[in-house]
Amino acid sequence: MLSNLAAAVFLTLSVAGSASGDGFDQVMIDAAFNRVAPAVGLLTFTSEITKSASGELSRRAGNALGLVIARDGLLITHGHILQEDREPVNIRFTLGRGEDEQEYDVKLLKKPDDINICFLRLVSDQPLDLPYVTFRSGGTLSIGEPLMIVGVLSETLDNTQGVFFARVGAILDKPRVTYCLDEALRFGFVTGPVVNTAGEVVGVVGFDLSVQEGGELYVRSGHPLVYQTDLFRRYIDEPPGEQEAVADVPDAWLGVFTQPLTDDFAEYWGMEKKGGVIISSIVSGSPADKAGLKTGDVVVDFNGMPVRSKLDREVLQFTKLVRETGAGQPVPMTFLREGQPTQIEVMLEPRPKPASEAIEYEDPVFGLTVRELTTDVRILLNLPDTVQGVIIRRVKSGSTAQRAGMRSGIIILNFERHPVTNIDDFKAAVDAVAQDRPNEISVFCRAGAVTGFFRLEPRWNDAAGE
Amino acid sequence: MRRVAWYIAPLLVLATGCVTTGGATQRTVIRAKDRVAPALVHIRPVKQVFAQGKREEILVLGSGFIISPDGYVVTNEHVVGEASFVECVLSNKEEVEAEVVGADRYTDLAVLKLASDDPLPFVKLGSSSALESGQTVLALGSPHGLARSVSLGIVSVTDRYLEEQDDVVSPYNNWIQTDAAINRGNSGGPLVNLKGEVVGVNARMLVGAENVGFAIPIDTARDVVDQIIKQGRVSRSWVGVTVQEMRRKTNDPSVRGVIIADIEPLSPAQEAGLKPGDIILSIAGTLTNARFEEDLPAIRKLVADIPVGSEAVFRVARGDEEIDVAVTTEERSDLKGDELEFEEWGFTASELTPEMVRRAQLPGRTGVAVSGVQVGGIAFKAGLQQGDIVLKMDDAVADNLAGFRRLYEERIASSQRLVMMVVQRGAVSRFVLIKQTSEDEADVEMEQEGEGENSHVE
Repeated sequence: MLSNLAAAVFLTLSVAGSASGDGFDQVMIDAAFNRVAPAVGLLTFTSEITKSASGELSRRAGNALGLVIARDGLLITHGHILQEDREPVNIRFTLGRGEDEQEYDVKLLKKPDDINICFLRLVSDQPLDLPYVTFRSGGTLSIGEPLMIVGVLSETLDNTQGVFFARVGAILDKPRVTYCLDEALRFGFVTGPVVNTAGEVVGVVGFDLSVQEGGELYVRSGHPLVYQTDLFRRYIDEPPGEQEAVADVPDAWLGVFTQPLTDDFAEYWGMEKKGGVIISSIVSGSPADKAGLKTGDVVVDFNGMPVRSKLDREVLQFTKLVRETGAGQPVPMTFLREGQPTQIEVMLEPRPKPASEAIEYEDPVFGLTVRELTTDVRILLNLPDTVQGVIIRRVKSGSTAQRAGMRSGIIILNFERHPVTNIDDFKAAVDAVAQDRPNEISVFCRAGAVTGFFRLEPRWNDAAGE
Repeated sequence: MRRVAWYIAPLLVLATGCVTTGGATQRTVIRAKDRVAPALVHIRPVKQVFAQGKREEILVLGSGFIISPDGYVVTNEHVVGEASFVECVLSNKEEVEAEVVGADRYTDLAVLKLASDDPLPFVKLGSSSALESGQTVLALGSPHGLARSVSLGIVSVTDRYLEEQDDVVSPYNNWIQTDAAINRGNSGGPLVNLKGEVVGVNARMLVGAENVGFAIPIDTARDVVDQIIKQGRVSRSWVGVTVQEMRRKTNDPSVRGVIIADIEPLSPAQEAGLKPGDIILSIAGTLTNARFEEDLPAIRKLVADIPVGSEAVFRVARGDEEIDVAVTTEERSDLKGDELEFEEWGFTASELTPEMVRRAQLPGRTGVAVSGVQVGGIAFKAGLQQGDIVLKMDDAVADNLAGFRRLYEERIASSQRLVMMVVQRGAVSRFVLIKQTSEDEADVEMEQEGEGENSHVE
């Protein structure tokens, strides 16, 4: 096995070494590889993919690099395994080779919403003591700096571990600092540990999400990046979602969309060019709305902290500030309205549940999986407050609902004369209808901006057997 | 002699291509073709298109046919709509200029008038209601620009319902589906029966399929063309109801009527008190029954044909009751608004349609829709995006496209350095700051770039 690994290293070196490996000496490479590679393993899983058009569910085998980042079995992998339309199930992790090979059950933790990395926890009866990588703290990378990335080669090469050399091709500063690699990467190197010439692990390889992929903050799909440790360090200490039961203060929420007060905006409005946060949009019914904030107000002080944003990434600091302020108590803030400073107190509320945490319900009869309408989805679909219902997340292949032409994204407003405003209503309606067993069920829905009817024609006899 | 020469070419193709066609049928086909071919027109319009934030003129190719000796030509709206110049090539290869008399986006039909003093050969219009599936038909036109092409096939389906896809709609007609080869460039050409009468206007095909082409029934076209010739446009009534076939509620054929699926906010139907779920039993005394979706276009046409601004009684079933609701119709607005290029800032914008207003949940009908942004231009750098709805410029409300252009031109003239636009993007509004002069250094521009990309939700 060892010889196998060595061969992989040499092979890669012979290709990439002369061109981009300079800066690394062979002794360093050996040392770093031997230290880091044992923490690199292979995740295998079944990816459940929902077709957005039909809501049909298909399954595909998937694999990805898994990197052990804590001795007790905390892993990371790339965030693309979990997306709006796909979810990994039946996840397994293989570490080591040959006689040392160990396989584990894996649980996917909550995906953080500020970085495209998934965290996973190995499930084991015994306490684990696994090889893991330790990351360098702080520090920056320089343009052109040579880097070594450890990863796994493809299945046809037995998922053997290997290395890849690249350089920092660009330093991105918006919306937060990241480093662009100058080389396209092979699949098995995503989330691979990134080692500098001093042998330190400075971060992992990542890809930001585009909007189409459900990315909220970042839109640089397709470019391999180095996520430096500082971007995800806090999740190593506090794995996302695991501490939630004990977390006493939920994220706070103001309910605004913001833009930085650039010098140009300041000039336009005749304000001092000191930065600030422009309120560009207010979610109706949110704390900001209740406090009487208006679009065009410029926040300059929040909870005693000056707010001085001139760039997009500085607005994120305001976002973080609000989030961490804590809900339920009045918070003083100062804003400029038409140039005049105004002070108010705003009562922050807990951040509304995002769609990824929404309650889902799969009805046992018609093949519909529905979700409650969360605030983020209401904003995304631009739904007026008058629209209440549940949104179809999936439609089972071959089901009564599929035969009726129902598909994901449609909002159910009324189910056979039972108004549906939430999941409980929907459950009750389904139960009532399943009791009555009518031949035809009329479902009133909203698709896009218009409403319409679907007719379900259940095969009751078949359904009973399910 | 020349006429004979150019009739021979297609004839040869037919003779070798349809070996199995018997002699009698063969003669019938040729006779039918001969009746229409002299009136066939190859159309080369130069039309304006708006793409990537720019207005451009492009040359397109299509087909059409002359319907009167004084030179009216029927073709598709998607061939000659927004054309600045139309050149036609007649069957004798003579080039003649034409003007667009009018076009109708709802039926994809347009009428041209040829600038010719001589009487012209013209086709005879047949009746599409008499068509049967299986009936032999010919398609004539310019597939891929190959003028004077004839293809042969049968009517596959007489009343195919095509659902709307984005802005490709046909609310008022079903379609003749044919397996006669129809390709790009056939658009606007005639579908002809064996008597040599035009029974349809070829307009669509199914991309990725073979021998699945669609023609607008001539009965639909006749009505639209008459209106365009008389008044330059087609006027239709609108009440703001979306209808669905009864099968969406029940498979029971004894339940008659048509379902109201949706009521547009602020529409005549809403004002009159119609509701989604009501079943329309009759409109202005005419019984309405749409069991299948193929029955829907006729119902929509019934509404459209009510004189604009007059009152019509909708008899509806609501629960166990039957009630009469009087609705005063409005004129249906065009499917698509006018569009303009704002060259200095590098973007294009169009008039808002009621559909856009509704999707954007706008409180009123003011504003313009950004239809394209030129990469690297001033608007692009300020973060303006396609789909944005501009509501205000500085403190002035952009009432409509004309008003917006006025505001824009004032600012171009004054060359004030900074101009603020308030835009609606989905559910969210944003401030977009246009920098008219770029005397600043490059690094300041760098900062601005991409600023519009991210909205920070807090």
